Amino acid sequence: MPFVKPHTPVAPEHDERARPRDLAGLRAILNAPDPMARRWAARDLASHPEAVTDLIARLEVESDPAVREALLTSLTEIGDAAAVAGLVRCLRSQEAALRNEAIEAMKNLPEAVAPVMTDLLRDPDPDVRILAVNVLESLRHPEVENWLIAVVRDDAHVNVCAAAVDLLGEVGSTAALEPLEALKRRFPDEPYIAFAADLALKRVREA
Amino acid sequence: MNPRPEPNRKRVLVVDDAATVRMYHRQILEGAGFAVDEAINGIEGLEKALTAPYDLYLVDINMPKQDGYDFLRDLRRREIPQAPAMMISTEAEPHDRRLAYEAGANFYLTKPIKPEELLSHCRLLLGLGGAA
Repeated sequence: MPFVKPHTPVAPEHDERARPRDLAGLRAILNAPDPMARRWAARDLASHPEAVTDLIARLEVESDPAVREALLTSLTEIGDAAAVAGLVRCLRSQEAALRNEAIEAMKNLPEAVAPVMTDLLRDPDPDVRILAVNVLESLRHPEVENWLIAVVRDDAHVNVCAAAVDLLGEVGSTAALEPLEALKRRFPDEPYIAFAADLALKRVREA
Repeated sequence: MNPRPEPNRKRVLVVDDAATVRMYHRQILEGAGFAVDEAINGIEGLEKALTAPYDLYLVDINMPKQDGYDFLRDLRRREIPQAPAMMISTEAEPHDRRLAYEAGANFYLTKPIKPEELLSHCRLLLGLGGAA
């Protein structure tokens, strides 16, 4: 007897697209079972700044890469203080991928990130301070060098300083020379600090 | 540091997005006789591993595009000669160590790294004995 494949008439993504596209409808679809529907909802919510909390909440549990990308794109497009606050919360996640995605998104929001950067660089958690330094890596903001100098001058944690000294070698001016020399004196028993500070000093002097 | 030549030039891949860290590890390992290659994230690391598998992998956790956990998970799934991997990170919480071992790490080292410490653990993982 020939096998007859049963016809299953389902078109979930079209059904989801047919649902209301207002804020309430998009919020509901953002948690739909179909990843395509979630992705469209995430994308459409870019025009609703009041949905930042929903986008962040979804990002924290979303496993589909395309949906995650849409969530991050919308958060970056919204790009206000609430979006940055949500991304900062992601920096504290135990999930490395989420932390890294938050860093990449924050790099694209220099004006919105700047007001919180000083606090981030003084966060009690050294891991958060390291991630904040990572945000500075390609943040196009005139205060980047000053923030990094403050870290190498004042931060007590060797790994936070190590992250900052790497970057200071790339963006630093002559203003960074003395803080880099002082950093070596602060951590005389750390070979990595000596190596990285010497390299940064060489780069700054040759720039 | 007193460099000690290693037999058969064991090949080490350093996977880290920080150029200074890669240079630091290279200097230490080459000084001890290892052959060192570099990758700036997990994706590049996997491409290199698939082209010519290494004897040892030194892997950072926080990297853009693909983090160290995903790199190791991908690496362990591949049908290539497997080699030990050491996760090196600033993250010092037990949770991070557990994730590293679950992803396929053989050892977890917390930064900052001292040269003798790095060499000692590399030699142990390669079955070359401990520190000089």
